[in-house]
Amino acid sequence: MKIKELAKYDSGFQYVIDNIECMSSAGRRLMLDTTFENDAAQLESEWGRLQKAVSIVSSSPIDHAYNDLRHCFMQLHDLQGTLSSLYSHTVLNEVELFEVKNLAYLVGKSRIAIASLRIEEVLPLPDLTEISSVLDPDHTGVVNFYIYDSYDERLAPLRNELRTLQERQDNPQRIADLLALQQEVQQEVCRQLSDILSHHAESLTNALEQMAYGDFLFAKAELCKRWELVRPAVGDSTCYRQLFNPRLRKHNEEVGLRYQPVDINVTHGVSLITGANMAGKTVLLKSIGTAQMMAQCGMYVPAQEGTIILVDDVVYSIGDEQNEMNGLSSYASEIIKISNIVKRCRTEHLLVLIDEPARTTNPIEGKALVQALISLQEQVQSITLVTTHYGQLDSSCRRLRVRGFVEDLANIPINPHNINRFIDYSLEEDTSDDVPHEALRIAELLQCDTELITKAKQNINQ
Amino acid sequence: MPFINDILQHKSLSIVGLDKNTGKTVCLNYILHRINQMNIHAGVTSIGVDGEQTDSVFATAKPEITLYEGTHFITSEQHYLKRQLVSVLERVDSRRTALGPLVTAKVLVRGKVLLSGAATTGVLRSQIEQLDSMGVRITIVDGALSRLSLASPTVTDAMILATGAAVSASINTLVARTRFVYNLINLEEVDVSLRQRLNSIESGIWAVGDDGTLYDLGIASAFMISASDQRLVEHGKCLFAAGAVSDRLLKALAAKGSGITLIARDFTKLFVTPEVYTDFTHRGNRLLVLQRSRLLAITLNPTSPQGFVMDSARTCDALSEALQTPVYDVKRIENNWK
Repeated sequence: MKIKELAKYDSGFQYVIDNIECMSSAGRRLMLDTTFENDAAQLESEWGRLQKAVSIVSSSPIDHAYNDLRHCFMQLHDLQGTLSSLYSHTVLNEVELFEVKNLAYLVGKSRIAIASLRIEEVLPLPDLTEISSVLDPDHTGVVNFYIYDSYDERLAPLRNELRTLQERQDNPQRIADLLALQQEVQQEVCRQLSDILSHHAESLTNALEQMAYGDFLFAKAELCKRWELVRPAVGDSTCYRQLFNPRLRKHNEEVGLRYQPVDINVTHGVSLITGANMAGKTVLLKSIGTAQMMAQCGMYVPAQEGTIILVDDVVYSIGDEQNEMNGLSSYASEIIKISNIVKRCRTEHLLVLIDEPARTTNPIEGKALVQALISLQEQVQSITLVTTHYGQLDSSCRRLRVRGFVEDLANIPINPHNINRFIDYSLEEDTSDDVPHEALRIAELLQCDTELITKAKQNINQ
Repeated sequence: MPFINDILQHKSLSIVGLDKNTGKTVCLNYILHRINQMNIHAGVTSIGVDGEQTDSVFATAKPEITLYEGTHFITSEQHYLKRQLVSVLERVDSRRTALGPLVTAKVLVRGKVLLSGAATTGVLRSQIEQLDSMGVRITIVDGALSRLSLASPTVTDAMILATGAAVSASINTLVARTRFVYNLINLEEVDVSLRQRLNSIESGIWAVGDDGTLYDLGIASAFMISASDQRLVEHGKCLFAAGAVSDRLLKALAAKGSGITLIARDFTKLFVTPEVYTDFTHRGNRLLVLQRSRLLAITLNPTSPQGFVMDSARTCDALSEALQTPVYDVKRIENNWK
């Protein structure tokens, strides 16, 4: 899976990607094509490079060489089309030759910055001096380009005559002939230059991709600094201290709500998450999913500390999508999704995040389905997190309970607008087989219809 | 050398035509020629696609733009490759247009070129800045058909308006139509303190209370207004339209009575017809702008695309008398000067 597909699948991850500010379109292309990696060694080396980049972007004062490097990324154009013309031996035009010269120039400047930052191993760039000198026959040292007189001995006399005639506004026919001849010679030079450059197609491609990678790497590093992300470690449990959801944290900041990061520790098998409504169970699942994607796409994670078990993929069943369009009921589309997950887990090692399965069907069959799901997922390698409101599931799987509603958490009267301040989002190990019974209490706090609540209470007491 | 010295007082100049075939390109060539003789380096670009060798509407021959040694110009890749001059590429933009990326180059041996440019005023503004940083004395922007936005005082410092027989072959009609646009260009400006306060408002229609308080009337666009809308004058009779001003808005305001002052950003935001505007002002209302464009001259092309030729001297006189602004038939002055 590539980042662009993952971002479509997980809107929280999309938010992360949207905040990685690549300077060039090539950097952005490379970012979107980056794949979800499950090889520990590959990830460790990517995190290692990122760590080096983070130390550079965090240094104070900022190293001049880093600013130079960013400036090069900013000027980088995505020459994929031009470079593929070189492979197919198509003749490049003047504008394309300018672009190649510009790339060689930027690579040259970047190499100086990289040497000064001592990160040649992080960002090795090929030496393109030979290309620079081919495209700068007069050794001007600037990026400007045209078909210089020195490329062909016919050009200088031709252009001199052209200049004289143009100034005198004389002999339009001769001017037209000279322009045509110049065009012919220029075309010939373009052909020769393209031929020379085609031998360097590989190193040019390599240079472009490395520059794009560098842009992406430092854009990630900037995000790590801005959001205070940490380097994850690979371990035998997935464990975060102070895990946060970047998008929600930002949203809460904007509307003046507090945001509470949580600690969590899960491993192979099933972890059942219970807790009152509004206790943030769904957000927790999404945060874990997004953090896993970030880590396995070579980023740092949104927490103060993080260890992860590497997986082959992250899959969600969170019932907040619209299914009317494909004609399936919410139950039907959910159960198909869960069935696919169960099948995949027989051969793959996944991070499975299922939010309140079977909540839209009758509670007897629903509960039976949840029990079946738990027992199947307990037998496979995948890490499965399931949130539920069903109690007495009669399973020995691990249970985590969101502490939830705590009336004396804040010293103010509760109302529907500040109820968030009375919720403790932290998790605790739960040994009972029951779930919190707080639905009516919360309905009361949300100032719902009294008759509705009173009748519901009477029904429970009968 | 009419109006060249005026032009050189500014960093950027736009040439806009009242209609197609009103002689913008002739005017541009004239200015570039004169500037070159004064050994001054100009920058040249365009908005949208222009400089076609033949006019695509009437298939009449169209003069190409001649650029001189030392001129910096911006055009699209495709037009650059077809140039009939010797030049050195200085920059290729990462943004692409339908004709490839925009490129900046400097002329080494004079000749002709087709100009095409940015599609938006935002990009155009950054190009003017870029040319300025390359050391040009003045940047001249050639306008494309029906584009007035480049003449906004937020984009170019000064403007030239091209009019001609293509607008109307009758002197009276030509004067009337040119005068209408001229009047809009020269609308009175609001005072500086009010301008500063209104300048940063980006959208909507606002009321300016007697004590200077600003009220957002909650109307997103002037194109959605209706005469029965009570919100328009609920905070008094001075209004500011941050975006476009339409006939619809003027009509709705005219229906509210007299004594209304409507402030527009600048004349390029006015999409109004002479009839509606006249009715609006005749009822005792007025239209002001935050910033007026500096109109340096009006040029006349006496030849219509169908081949009809107006009496150049008479038409120029009629226009300058009606508009109290210098009016030039560029071809005529160039011939006299030769």
